[in-house]
Amino acid sequence: MERHIDALIKDLESGKINRREFCEAVAIAAAMFAASGPANAAAPRGFKVIGINHLTYDCADYRKARDFYTSVFGMQTLKDDGRTHANLGFGPAQGQGGSFLTVRNAPANAPKPGATIDHVCYTIPNWDEGKVVAALNARNLPQTGRPGSWHVYDPFDFDVQIGNSVEENAFRRG
Amino acid sequence: MQGFVASKLDEFEKGKISRRMLLESLTVAATTTYATGAMAAAAPDPALKVSIVNHVSYICPDFKRAADWYTRVLNLEQIGETNRDVNMPFGKQGEKPYGVTANDIPLTFLLTRTRDPNAVPAPNAAPPHRPGTAFISSVAYTVADYDRARATADLRALGLTDIRNDGPNSIAVTDPYGIGVKITGLSNTALTDV
Repeated sequence: MERHIDALIKDLESGKINRREFCEAVAIAAAMFAASGPANAAAPRGFKVIGINHLTYDCADYRKARDFYTSVFGMQTLKDDGRTHANLGFGPAQGQGGSFLTVRNAPANAPKPGATIDHVCYTIPNWDEGKVVAALNARNLPQTGRPGSWHVYDPFDFDVQIGNSVEENAFRRG
Repeated sequence: MQGFVASKLDEFEKGKISRRMLLESLTVAATTTYATGAMAAAAPDPALKVSIVNHVSYICPDFKRAADWYTRVLNLEQIGETNRDVNMPFGKQGEKPYGVTANDIPLTFLLTRTRDPNAVPAPNAAPPHRPGTAFISSVAYTVADYDRARATADLRALGLTDIRNDGPNSIAVTDPYGIGVKITGLSNTALTDV
């Protein structure tokens, strides 16, 4: 800031700017400085996470998982190598906020992590309780949970949750 | 279908269409009908069409340790902490994911949890989880303004050393409990990811 104002003064002294322009420039600089203060500053380093890009799902037969997630939850097979894995897109267009699930045959001898992602919850927009339950029942998927938030198991007994924005919201208890 | 075939056959027999035309029209009709049927069988119910990851539930021996790591590395804020879990939304309350999605699309969040081995199930609780045979081995996070060099430098500045290249558009590290964490940008898609 100091250097910036110093430069403005030089401009004033040299006649590059007049008094009114100088005052305006300093006022703008001050306003910008205030806006970048601690309350509004970006993180000094690190990241601004805006979403899940993709999840990597390891199982014994990726085709079985692919068929389940595409037929039940409307994901689209956007890439499939026919041997080991497929990328299943969902949500907005890819590159514009869309996510994908990579289903793949589990690599041999993969190290076992000390944590478990025990379930993934997906949002369903325009939630209609009756239609959601009917659709789960029609696909013979017994559900547990509560209205607005149901759990089912996929073919590999991985817990899949679906919910609406009211029941499944990070700020609901925050 | 049968009525259509009969009518075409009738036209052929009366000399209105050639044999070639009969063959083509029936072939088209048959394959279209088959394709429509196949798609209908596989078509998902719109009531279940997922739009976005709502949350990822992460269970580990010390939920706070995991949460603190994600706060430090990914700048995720911790809210609603209990003695067993904490939520980490990807933004502030009221924000919309990507700034463009509908009102009924909430922010995605990471939920780190530690199970209480002595907990008594509630009377109406869901049955215990069956032991699954599939697992999520990594989660890729989309970050704003992703730049590989800058992201790598940021991770190094945080003291992380196991930074790996993960394809053309992302880098990867491993969290304290062995779950893969990929950092990437919007340009990484189902079509580009290897």
